[in-house]
Amino acid sequence: MNRMLRIPHLLLIGLAALALNACSGGAATTSNPNGNGAVTAASYIGPAPSTADVQAFKINLWQNINTPNRCGNCHKAGGQSPMFARSDDVNLAYNDALTVVNLSQPDQSTMVLKVAGGHNCWLSSAQSCADILTTWIKNWAGGVSSGGTQIQLQAPVVKDVGSTKTFPATATDNGAASFSTTIYPLLSQFCSRCHSANATTPQTPYFASSDVNEAYANAQAKINLDTPDLSRFYVRLHDESHNCWIPQGATAVSCPQSSAIMLAAIQAFVDGIVPTQVDPSLQLSKALTLYDGTVASGGNRYDTGIIAKWQFKEGAGSVADDTSGVDPALNLNLSGDTSWVGGWGVAFGPNGGEARGGAASSKLYNMIKGGGEFSVELWAAPANVTQEDSYMASYSGGTAARNFTMGQHAYQYEMFARSSATDANGAPALLTSDVDRDAQASLQHVVLTYDPVNGRRLYVNGNYTGDMDAEKGGSVGNWDDTFVFLLGNETSGNRKWQGTIRFAAVYNKALTQEQIQQNFAAGVGERYFLLFDVSALTGVSQAYVMFEVSRYDSYSYLFNKPTFISLDPAAKPGSIAIKGMRIGVNGSEAAVGQAYAPLDTTVTDANYTAGVGQKLSAVGTIIALQKGPDSDLFFLSFDQIGSAMHVRTPPAAPQPATPADKPESSQLGVRVFSEINASLSEVTGVSMNDANVKATYALVEQQLPSVPTIESFVASHQVGVAQLAIQYCDSLVEGGQAASFFPGLNLSAAPATAFADTSALIDPLLAKGVGVNVTTQPADADVRAELNSLVTKLESCGSSCAADRTKTITKAACATVLGSGALLIK
Amino acid sequence: MKQVMHQGSARRVAAIAGTLLLALQSWTPSSAGPREQARRIHDRLAGVPPTDAVLTQMASDISGGQADAAAQLAMNNKNFYNVTLKNFVAPWTNRDRTVFVPLNDYTATVIGMVRDDVDFSTLLSADLLYVSNASGAPAYSASNNDHYQYLDDNNVDLKATLQPATQSGLLGLPVAATAGIMTTHAAAQAFFINGTNRAMFRFTMINHMCRDLEQLQDSSLPPDRIRQDVSRSPGGDSRVFLNSCITCHAGMDPLAQSFAYYNFDSTTNTLQYTDSTVQPKYLINSDNFKTGYVTTDDHWDNRYRQGANQVLGFDGALTGSGSGAKTMGQELAHSDGFAQCQVEKVFRAVCLRDPGNAADRASVQTIKTKFKTTGYKMKQVFADAAIYCMGN
Repeated sequence: MNRMLRIPHLLLIGLAALALNACSGGAATTSNPNGNGAVTAASYIGPAPSTADVQAFKINLWQNINTPNRCGNCHKAGGQSPMFARSDDVNLAYNDALTVVNLSQPDQSTMVLKVAGGHNCWLSSAQSCADILTTWIKNWAGGVSSGGTQIQLQAPVVKDVGSTKTFPATATDNGAASFSTTIYPLLSQFCSRCHSANATTPQTPYFASSDVNEAYANAQAKINLDTPDLSRFYVRLHDESHNCWIPQGATAVSCPQSSAIMLAAIQAFVDGIVPTQVDPSLQLSKALTLYDGTVASGGNRYDTGIIAKWQFKEGAGSVADDTSGVDPALNLNLSGDTSWVGGWGVAFGPNGGEARGGAASSKLYNMIKGGGEFSVELWAAPANVTQEDSYMASYSGGTAARNFTMGQHAYQYEMFARSSATDANGAPALLTSDVDRDAQASLQHVVLTYDPVNGRRLYVNGNYTGDMDAEKGGSVGNWDDTFVFLLGNETSGNRKWQGTIRFAAVYNKALTQEQIQQNFAAGVGERYFLLFDVSALTGVSQAYVMFEVSRYDSYSYLFNKPTFISLDPAAKPGSIAIKGMRIGVNGSEAAVGQAYAPLDTTVTDANYTAGVGQKLSAVGTIIALQKGPDSDLFFLSFDQIGSAMHVRTPPAAPQPATPADKPESSQLGVRVFSEINASLSEVTGVSMNDANVKATYALVEQQLPSVPTIESFVASHQVGVAQLAIQYCDSLVEGGQAASFFPGLNLSAAPATAFADTSALIDPLLAKGVGVNVTTQPADADVRAELNSLVTKLESCGSSCAADRTKTITKAACATVLGSGALLIK
Repeated sequence: MKQVMHQGSARRVAAIAGTLLLALQSWTPSSAGPREQARRIHDRLAGVPPTDAVLTQMASDISGGQADAAAQLAMNNKNFYNVTLKNFVAPWTNRDRTVFVPLNDYTATVIGMVRDDVDFSTLLSADLLYVSNASGAPAYSASNNDHYQYLDDNNVDLKATLQPATQSGLLGLPVAATAGIMTTHAAAQAFFINGTNRAMFRFTMINHMCRDLEQLQDSSLPPDRIRQDVSRSPGGDSRVFLNSCITCHAGMDPLAQSFAYYNFDSTTNTLQYTDSTVQPKYLINSDNFKTGYVTTDDHWDNRYRQGANQVLGFDGALTGSGSGAKTMGQELAHSDGFAQCQVEKVFRAVCLRDPGNAADRASVQTIKTKFKTTGYKMKQVFADAAIYCMGN
């Protein structure tokens, strides 16, 4: 059953149902022609193109493919049919070409699909040849189509959800293969320092809890039963070197050994689980893989003026092909810390990697110099927003000379473009506003344009950043054709950039904002419409919940635009309640990313449009990749769809374990800064608003203890306390309140007289500064002895005593008591 | 200022005082009687030593089995408000969580609520603001802290001069837009400034639920309300989102949506409230994940009612969803986790340590139950904690 559906706002066409026999039976297909050789077409001497369309075919497609190193080797006059590459008569070639191209949807042309399937590509990557052919056909068709992408929804093959392993009910199920005997001992021993409620700094989830049931409940999200080596417990150790340990018998921390031990434990746990069919109580759609979906890519890009393009579809090898179709191909060689990214792209790692072009870089010089303007377009995801002077794309000869460069400077993008208005390095650089933070560590569409009138302009996600170029008005006549184009670094290798580039292109024109927004809207990467069959659940003919799904990056899929739709144009949904929709992968619901679990909506005739469907939610979500797009089998489950119900019992919250006792701590503490200030004021009766006190307090406030923990009390605290105590005592003695505080003490007398009996000095200090009859305070006798000793020492100045010596001694004794532990400790 | 002693003298005094300190540290009484217990209660609650008369009265109360009366007497000291409570609250009012900040309307309001035994479960929802009637103080302003700075600079008696007022009157907010201390000028200045208003949520959780986002992580919650500004593939690696970002944002964003109409305008230095209009900060960086959640109103949902954070004990009498910060504040403050947090904070402030053993934990439970069943009176929590830690 292959029903077709018209998607409004998209133009529908039928695929050309043509069988291309081509060279499939001929001996000439024994080896791929060398498309990179210097073979060129002889001058055309046949009949002139009979129409403008034939002329367009001739210059855009035919001239590129009729050479012996491409299609002209077989599909020539008298050769394999169809003879679309014949050199004798371009009009006849045109007629044959029409049978193998799709001018409305070039990437679906039979010619393209054939080559994409491995048929005589002249490059190492069949996909690159297919993309180049697509470009040529698109150029023939008129460059940019004004219509939308043409999509035919096709009903997928019906597949049921398979069996899977599920977590046992308790941590002790399955005996020797239970969680408690396989994985938990490792978690308990090596992870409980953080992942336990009893940890000093607890880090959730508590999968290393002292309570094995709590640990089991939290550990399940970290264990992958289908693919144990995708378990986070293993990946954290193996790939991310997260707190590995010293294995038994080893002498040093070893992540390889730690991770192997963990993987073995997980494997033992998984091996003990008998696979079960998917939970039969769930209300399930049918299942399908990503590639069972209908291709939704082929977005409506604006490619006119493109002179080099890299789509990174290769996914393997060390060359990223230039698929612009503009010769010579500026293929980029990957080296250093680079890796292919799922869903198309190349990642540049922390150790520095690059994708460097060769002599063909001069193509850029040759094709830009005449017009004097250019654009560089990137789909890039910076790995972080801390890297500076990191070059994403550069056409240069080192750090001191370049034609152009796009770089990242933390949250800013920076652009160099050499012209008569700049130096040979394209400087001064144009930086985007620091405040705007245009550069983000997420996938961004970044386009640099240059033309003499506006100079450099940067567009991020379709929007002009507004950063004006002060160096505009120059010409590119001083460019250097010996420079090399590369991504991810500078030619000198010392401007490494970390991140992922999923698309790159160079144009020999300055794109307009409208054109840039068109390309931004077209997106990047491969997308599919996945149709989850819910006919049986809803009773509606050919009913599906359709998602637009793409590889989001190497580790996840993006599920977007859930839509209820029937491929039967006559179908009416009636009223279908849809609640609690979840995405399943490989037999079980995905543990993370269930954005549609709270869904509660109803599909109605009023809101449903035949051929369009009814959108169920405006949000998208990402779901972790497990086995890869070839194998991951998706399905949907519903708490309710129509009259089909599944009563979901939410799991009980894991009960926290009883915390372990903490080491006994001091029962005592010290007063903190403001308590010391207030205490001194209370004891002396001197106001905290006393000018001298305020000044001293402002000076020492942050030198005083800020926390009451006695273990953190240090010498500098004591000096600060002493300074403040001295000030209070000074204000007490000099402020005239001494008489009431020290009744009977003659401050005007000489020390020998005044302190003949020190009780007048010491008794008030003991009563107010230490406290009366409080056994937790220092004993009166001990304090008295210390103070007497102090007074004796200070008054031994004989005839050389200053006139205010008694006051000074009083202040000292006062400060000694008030600055001591007697007041400080609480 | 007159030089009262030169630096060398200060060091000598410090050395002698230090000797006394060491002598005290090395000496531990075998047991504490009523006077010692009274002294500790007063020290811990008022922050200053008691007068002999107060100490004697408190000791008498303790001897008579009226330890609560002793604690209440200690809290009659103005320094319980000016010093102890101010230090207790000040770190909640700024991002650095430092105690070295001037008095502000956030701190003063909490102090006033404690003094007046205001139901503390209204902390995050009340239309309440405390100002001082001290003579000479500038009038309260919605655009500066001058009023409280004056009180701070002049050590004005807060116990005697704080008066209750309304945020709707002083800040010009609609009553429905007032949300207790979250909508004070100080809180807005600290947590509604710039950013995405998630700071208000995070610091409210830290300060009043005693949990930072790390302790609230839950990857099982649905991510449908995570805004567009959160990259789903930071640096091109969606594992970071699936294993880290989502664990906080899935619960946080649906709750932080309650602040969608608030902003702190740093130009006018005032709290903005745009009724029914979402602040632009909720819609920034929308290209980071175009199909992320687009905030259209201030509706909030408490996803913590599912999953591991159910242990916070949310109030079954509430629905777990609503509109605006006021109802969201009620949702948090009516939880068991809120009450537990308040008691633990007081325990830490008064006992100078965390609850560390079964007896401590049982005490916290007892104090919490009393707190919840007797009108959420914070002063009583201070008293109960001080009595528990007065020694024996």
